[in-house]
Amino acid sequence: MWYRSRGVCFLIITLLSISLLTAGASGQQKRFSGVTLTVITQNPPYIAKAVQMFAPEWEKRTGGKINLVTAPFGELYSKLMSSFTLGTAAYDLSLFASAWMGDFAGNKYLLDLTDRIKADKDLKWEDILPTYQQTVTWGGRLYALPIDGDVHTVYYRRDALENPKYKAQFKAKYGYDLRPPQTWKEYRDIAEFFNGWDWVGDGKKHYGVLEAFKRGGQAFWFFMSHAAAYVSVPGQKGNMFFDPDTMKPQINNPGFVKALEDWVALVKFGPPGMINFDSGDVRSQFAAGTAALALDWGDTGIVGDTDPKSVVKGKIGTIVLPGSLEVYNYKTGKWTKLTKPNVAPYLAFGGWVCGVMATTKHPDAAYDFCRTIAEPKNSYIAVTTAETGLNPFRASHFADLSGWKKFGFVEPDLSSYLGAIKASLSHPNAQLDLKLPGQARYLDALETQLARAAAGEISPKAALDAAAAEWEKITNELGRDKMRRLYREWLGLPAK
Amino acid sequence: MQDVPSLHEVSRDLMGRQRSRGSQALPFLLPAVSILLCFTIFPFLFTVALTFSRVSLVGGLKLQFGGLQNWIRLVQDDRFWNSLGNTLFIVAVAVSVEFILGLGLALLINRPLRGGAFFRTIFILPMALAPIAIGYIWLMIYHETIGPLNVLLERIGLPPVGWVSRRNVAIYSIIITDIWHWTPFMFIVLLAGLQSLPAEILEAAQIDGTSGWQLFRYITFPMLRPTAIAAIILRSLEAFKIVDEIFIITGGGPGVSTESLTLHAYYIGFLSFDLAYGATIAMSLFLLVLVVALSMVRITQRYQRVEV
Repeated sequence: MWYRSRGVCFLIITLLSISLLTAGASGQQKRFSGVTLTVITQNPPYIAKAVQMFAPEWEKRTGGKINLVTAPFGELYSKLMSSFTLGTAAYDLSLFASAWMGDFAGNKYLLDLTDRIKADKDLKWEDILPTYQQTVTWGGRLYALPIDGDVHTVYYRRDALENPKYKAQFKAKYGYDLRPPQTWKEYRDIAEFFNGWDWVGDGKKHYGVLEAFKRGGQAFWFFMSHAAAYVSVPGQKGNMFFDPDTMKPQINNPGFVKALEDWVALVKFGPPGMINFDSGDVRSQFAAGTAALALDWGDTGIVGDTDPKSVVKGKIGTIVLPGSLEVYNYKTGKWTKLTKPNVAPYLAFGGWVCGVMATTKHPDAAYDFCRTIAEPKNSYIAVTTAETGLNPFRASHFADLSGWKKFGFVEPDLSSYLGAIKASLSHPNAQLDLKLPGQARYLDALETQLARAAAGEISPKAALDAAAAEWEKITNELGRDKMRRLYREWLGLPAK
Repeated sequence: MQDVPSLHEVSRDLMGRQRSRGSQALPFLLPAVSILLCFTIFPFLFTVALTFSRVSLVGGLKLQFGGLQNWIRLVQDDRFWNSLGNTLFIVAVAVSVEFILGLGLALLINRPLRGGAFFRTIFILPMALAPIAIGYIWLMIYHETIGPLNVLLERIGLPPVGWVSRRNVAIYSIIITDIWHWTPFMFIVLLAGLQSLPAEILEAAQIDGTSGWQLFRYITFPMLRPTAIAAIILRSLEAFKIVDEIFIITGGGPGVSTESLTLHAYYIGFLSFDLAYGATIAMSLFLLVLVVALSMVRITQRYQRVEV
C-alpha cells in the first residue's frame, strides 16, 4: 500500500505547488491590491473623462481602486490649496493645470517624480514635446507628468475666406488680399468684414469673430495670445510678464496697451453678448457656424470636426496665431518696425498635468496611475477621444493620423489642425504661460481689469496700469527677492 | 411645633438645588455647546483673527499678526466700494419691489377667490428652486440671440437688449431675477400676517362704511406693520448675501458692474487665495448686515411702542 500513500502525497504536493504558483503569479499581477487612490480633478466630462476611461483597466491590472473626486474648474485650485495648506492629505493625486505648478511644486506640495520618470523607459519621456517637459519642471526637477498639450491657435472658415466673391469685396474695401490672417491687423479687418451679415447664405445673420471675454472664463489667456506678438522680441527672455531684473510688471508697457486696444475693439465684431463668453461658448458657437474666425485651444477644432451637430465639419482651417509688424522692446523702451510679422505662439494654460501629492501613502500606485494616462498608447487614445479635453503633447500624436480620422476628423481640416499645433509648439519664439507662486492672484487681478476695459468702464491704458499696480502689491506681499529668484529660474536665467 | 426655616436657609437651599440641577444639565448641554463652539463660534473667531493677519501658504497655513493692514486695504480698494454700492443698490431696489408685489399678491389672494389654493401654490414655486438653477434659467432667458426675451422683442419689432452684456442693464437683470425668486417669500409671510389679523375689527370698519382704500390705509396696513417689517428685515439680510445668481448670470460683469460683496469676497478668498483679505471683505459684510439688522429692530420697537 506504500505506493498508494506515496501517490496521494505526490498529488497533494502537486496541487499545493500549483496553488502556490498561481497565488504567486496573481500576487505579481495585483501589485496594488487593497490600495485605494483618491484622484481629484475637474468635473466631467472634460479631463475627468481621462480618469474614467483608464481607471477600470488600471484597477483590473493592479488590484487597486480609484476614487474619483471632481470639482468645477473655478473651485479646483481652491480645493487643492485648502487640502495642501490644512494638511488634510485628502487626495493621492490630481490632474491639474500646469499653470499652478509654481504654487504646488514651489511649496513642495507635490512629490518629486524625477527619478521615477527617468527610470520608466516605457513612458517614452523623450517622445513628449520639450515644451511640455518644461511645464512640469520646477527648479530642474520633475513634479508631474504632462497629459495634455495646450496652445492657442486661430480657426477660420475656409468657405468664407476662400470665397472668390468675398475676396474681391474684401480687396475693394481694405486694399489687400483676403487670406487667413497673418497679422492681428488682418485678423481685425476680417472680423469686421464678416460681421453682421449673411455670408453663409442660410438666411441668418453671421458674425466676424469668437473669443472669450468673460472674467473667470479664460479671458486672461485670450488677451495674452494677442499681446505675445507685440512684446516678444525673438531670443530675448522676460518679455511677457515681469522684468527679470526688477520684477517690475511688463503688462502695462506700450506693447500690452496696443494689444488690449486691439482686443477690446473685437467685442463689436462678435455675436451679441460675446463679452460674457467663455471658451466653451467659443467652441459651441463656432461649431454652430456663427462666426468666420475663432481663437481657442485645440478643442474648437475637435468640436468643429467631430461633434455630430457641427455645421462646419470639413470647412475649418487652423493657423498659428497671427503676428505683428511692430514689436515693443521693454529693454530699449522702443517699438521696432518689421517687414515680416513677428509671430509668437502662446502656450496658453500650458496643459493639464498629473501630479502625486507629497502626503500620499501610496506614491508608487499614484505614480503608476499617472503614467497610465500619460504613456504613449493611452495618451494617443485620450487625445483622439471626444470630451477628454486633452490635446496632443507627444511627437507620436502627430505622426499617426488613423486615430484622428477614426475620431471624426476629415481632410483637409485634420492636416491644417495638426500642422498649426505642431508649428506653434516648435516655433522658436513660442511663449510659455506664467508659472509662479501666486499665479492665480496675478491672473485674477489682470482679468478683472481686462473685463473692465472690455466693458468700456475704463480705458485699456488705465486698466493695465491698475493691473500692474495690483501685480506690484502681490509681488511685494509674496516677497520680491524670492519671486525674482523663482521667475529667473523659470526663465532659465542665472540667479541675481 | 415645626421649625420654620429662615429666608436665608430657603434661599441657600434653592441655590443649592439649582447648582445641582446645573451640574446635572451640563452633560446634556455639552454636545450642543461643543457643536456650537466648533462650527459657529470658532470659525467666526478665526475669521476675525484672519482680518488682522498676514497669511502665508508656504509649507502649510501660517498666520502672522498684520495689524490693520487688511482693513486699510479695504478702505482704499475701489473694487470693494464698487461691490458695496452694487450690493446696496440691489438690496434697496429688489427688496422694495418684492415687498410691493408680495403685498399686492397677498391682498389679492386674501379674499374669497376661486382657485385660491392653486394660485398660492403657483406663486410660491420660484422660492422652492435652488438659486443656481434659477441662475441658469434666467441665463437662458437673457441670452441675447436665442433667449425668449429678445426673440419676443424682435417679434414685436423692437431691437434686442444686451440683458447681461451692457453695463447699465446687467444690474437690473440681476434685480429682476432676484424679484422673481424672492417675491413669493414676501407674499407668503404677508399673507400669513393678513390672515392672522382680527376679523372683527375689519368687519366693524366695513359696517361703519369705510372704503377699501381707507380700510387698507388706516386699519389693515398699521396692523400688518410688524409682520411687514419682519419680512423686510429677513429678506434684506438674505439679499445682502446675494451671490449664486450673479455668479451664474454675469460672473460679476460686464467688468465689475454687477459684482456683489459676497462675490468679491469669493473671488479674493478662493480664486486669488488671498485668505486674509477675503475674510476682511466677508467681515465687513457681517458688520454691515449687523448694523442694518439692529437699525431695523430698533425701528420695529419704535413702532411697537407707538402702537402700545
